[in-house]
Amino acid sequence: MSDQTDVLQGTLDLLIMRTIALEPMHGWAIAQRIQQISDELLRVQQGSLYPALHRLEHQGWIVADWGASENNRRARFYSLTKAGRKQLDVEVSKWERLSAGVNLVLQKT
Amino acid sequence: MFFRDRREDDLREELEFHLERETERLEASGTPREAARFQALRLFGGPEQIKEECRDARGTGFVDDTIRDIRYALRGFARAPLVAFTIVSTIGLGLGLVTVAFTFLNMVLFRQDQVPNIHEMFAVDRPRTAEREPAPLTRAHLDDLRRGTTIFTDAYGEISGIDFPVDGRVLLMTFTTANFFQVVGVNAAMGRTLMPGDDEPLAGRPVIVLSDRGWDRLFARDPAVLGRALLVSGVSLEVVGVMPEGFRGLSIVPPDYWAPLSMVDDVVPTYRGRGAHVDVRVVGRLKPGISRQTAQAGLAVWSASQPSGSPLGPLASSGSRGAPGMTLVPWRGTVQQPLEAMVVTGPLFFAFGLILLIGCANVANLLLARAVARQREIGIRLSLGAARGRIVRQLLTESLLLAVLAAAAGFAISRVALRALVDAMLTSWPPEIGDLQLLVPAADWRVLLFLMIGAGISAMFFGLAPALQATRIEPVRTMRGEVVRDARPGRARDLLIGVQVSASAILLICAVVFLRSALAAATADPGLRTVDTIAIQIAKEATRTAMVQAVAAEPSVVAFAASSPGALGASRTAVAETAGAKATVAYKFVSPDFFSVLDIPVVRGRAFTVDERSPDLPVAIVSETAARVLWPGADAIGQVVRLERDPRADVRAADEPRFQPRSVTVVGVVRDVAGFRIAPFPKSIVYLPTGAAVPGTAVIARVQGDPERARQALIKRLTTIDPGMEQAGSEQVGVLGWIVRMETYLLKVGFWFTIGLGGLALVLTLSGLFSVLSYLVEQRTREIGVRMALGATTADVTRLVLSQSIRPVGAGLLLGSGAAAGLSALLLATPGAEFIGQIVHVLDPIAYGASLLVITAACLAAASIPATRAARLDPTLTLRQE
Repeated sequence: MSDQTDVLQGTLDLLIMRTIALEPMHGWAIAQRIQQISDELLRVQQGSLYPALHRLEHQGWIVADWGASENNRRARFYSLTKAGRKQLDVEVSKWERLSAGVNLVLQKT
Repeated sequence: MFFRDRREDDLREELEFHLERETERLEASGTPREAARFQALRLFGGPEQIKEECRDARGTGFVDDTIRDIRYALRGFARAPLVAFTIVSTIGLGLGLVTVAFTFLNMVLFRQDQVPNIHEMFAVDRPRTAEREPAPLTRAHLDDLRRGTTIFTDAYGEISGIDFPVDGRVLLMTFTTANFFQVVGVNAAMGRTLMPGDDEPLAGRPVIVLSDRGWDRLFARDPAVLGRALLVSGVSLEVVGVMPEGFRGLSIVPPDYWAPLSMVDDVVPTYRGRGAHVDVRVVGRLKPGISRQTAQAGLAVWSASQPSGSPLGPLASSGSRGAPGMTLVPWRGTVQQPLEAMVVTGPLFFAFGLILLIGCANVANLLLARAVARQREIGIRLSLGAARGRIVRQLLTESLLLAVLAAAAGFAISRVALRALVDAMLTSWPPEIGDLQLLVPAADWRVLLFLMIGAGISAMFFGLAPALQATRIEPVRTMRGEVVRDARPGRARDLLIGVQVSASAILLICAVVFLRSALAAATADPGLRTVDTIAIQIAKEATRTAMVQAVAAEPSVVAFAASSPGALGASRTAVAETAGAKATVAYKFVSPDFFSVLDIPVVRGRAFTVDERSPDLPVAIVSETAARVLWPGADAIGQVVRLERDPRADVRAADEPRFQPRSVTVVGVVRDVAGFRIAPFPKSIVYLPTGAAVPGTAVIARVQGDPERARQALIKRLTTIDPGMEQAGSEQVGVLGWIVRMETYLLKVGFWFTIGLGGLALVLTLSGLFSVLSYLVEQRTREIGVRMALGATTADVTRLVLSQSIRPVGAGLLLGSGAAAGLSALLLATPGAEFIGQIVHVLDPIAYGASLLVITAACLAAASIPATRAARLDPTLTLRQE
């Protein structure tokens, strides 16, 4: 179980960053989008979403700003920084290497 | 930290928003509102826990960490208050002492006076070479300067630092031209300042302006002081104004009052009749915009145009043409030679700094020991994930906090010590030397800043090594309870002990050097009889005959003589030429009874006869050395020597008999007079005849009975002739023995100072050594038990413990004596060293040997207690202690 959360934590960061790479979003919208785009295959554990967002912000990959949401209420919008964009590329390539390696093992055995 | 509340609100709002959207979504898909909310919460997880995780993800700020560290440290001190108290008091003592030195330095070096645009104030300085004193710059010259140059907006002249006793109190006064207050630009706090009309010779009633200190001292801050009068030397001086507090008149110590320059004749007894010829200091305010270089150049140009020989002209002769005549020095109420001030306070800083060093070393050792005791606590923290740097930071915060507390204690100690020091000096100062003007220096922001920096540096010194050492442990082993016991003392501990021992050695060596020099000075034979000899300066020539008669008539006077210069005054030099030799000798005019009054034995020939009392007579007496130099191997009696004026001689004062070149016949040879270390007598000297009736001579009288009582009686008798003698100080009528007192006093002060510090240093060192060794013995109890069980004798165990300390103590002694010798060599190489070398024999081997012996014995004694304790251990008990 602990292994799963570890991998998921790393992938969660990746998913979050990829999601907000296109446009700034607030936390709830990010969760909805991930669920949506992955055809409901991925469901974000809501409890780990906000700690992840704050951690990414502390590390400097994303920045947050208050703005008006769709229903005109105040929400915190997250967007990617320049350093975050570079980190996103790094994470994407890491993930591709990882999944390629796992696939190879699964095929050949 | 201030943003914390806002961040909390933000976080709450953000999570609340999420929950609302989730609730709405669930509602939209059909769930009723209550259930929707409930389900949203369930999906989300506990918001408080989420918030906590968010906070963790953010990390805490620097300030938060520091506050946490401080609280943790305070809790630690509360648990071990004795340790905290020891550290604070040890470091506080060291810091306090160093601050005392700095407060003095601050007072003379940094505290500028409160004068507007003080950077424009400059004093005119005329360079002095070693050989000559420049001719006095009088008031008339000041007026020439003011008229002739254009660099100053205005300039004033002053004679400052005049002090003499009035009604049992010593007053400090400064005489200035009337424009002083205008040039300086400061108004009176009460009443008015001096005006041009006050300075005219025939002004109405003489007026003075008090300083704040004078107002406090002399009139007890009487609000109705304006119009009151002060009676000085028979002159009634009316107070017309009081200056604001803090205004010092551009001196380091403010005078009690300022008086017009024209009053100096009447008020100051020693200046009677020569007020117009007194050297005046010229201080001016440069025109705004003129730089110091420009002004100095302008001054040099004007000075070059002055008639030669005028004190305003450039320095003639001395070899170097184009030598600068007058220069400008900044005049701000601080010391003129900052380098010299620092050189004088340097040893103070050094000595006090050594104490601080020793204290820090002790505390460092203490903390090292505590680090071992805290291994378990630190091990747990390390294993819980704390970064090593974080723990080091926390330990350093502890040290800094202790250092800050110590700084506060140090400040209090410094104030107390300063007051005690000033009081001690004022009470122990021998009154014959004169009066000591000492103030307790005030503490300003610079002193506090110095304290803070000192605390920081001390904290680094005593806290860094233990902090690093404490975290160098293996968490797993400490958790298991296996405390790493340092079997061997760390290098750090040895180094610290070595440093302490060397510091103590330096201080003790200095103490013994002073002691031996004081003893030598007290027992040395100056070759003069001083203990019951009184020297009298005759100020007014008109009263000479009456004065001499009065001295002769005084019943306590057994014999008297005259000389020029006075008995211990500096002699002028002349060039002596004989058939076979030419040399520079000193010369002195003495009356026939001079040698008998001062007990200087005549070794060959005779002294002057009663008839030989005139400077024109062609006879002379020479000292043994002069005889040897001028007539080597031959008898000096009957020889003729030609005396010419020395071309390099000082310009003489106005009232000295003029030296005429002459040929004289030697009639006697007297023993060389050694003189005193601080007032040496020239070895090669020629005595020429004079008499008490000749103007310009001073009188020396041998008295019987108590010299001080005789002195008082003389003063009373002389006052009837010249009322100005009433306030005579030791320079006018003084027992010659005061020079011996002064010499031994200075050396005694040096001795008590260094022995006090040395004793303190030694005590600290010994306590440090003792605690370290005790601690080590305790740590190695098991090992010692095993050794004893294996057959080690008590002697072996004692040797084992003592050998721990031999190396650092030995190294410390070597380093300390080496440093002391090195510093002494350095001191002797500096200018002014000759003076020091005559008084204090710095490279005294007995001093070195004695102090090293004392320290070794003390260290052995301190080490013996833990050693015997170790030797008395019962192996069976220690081995069972598991």
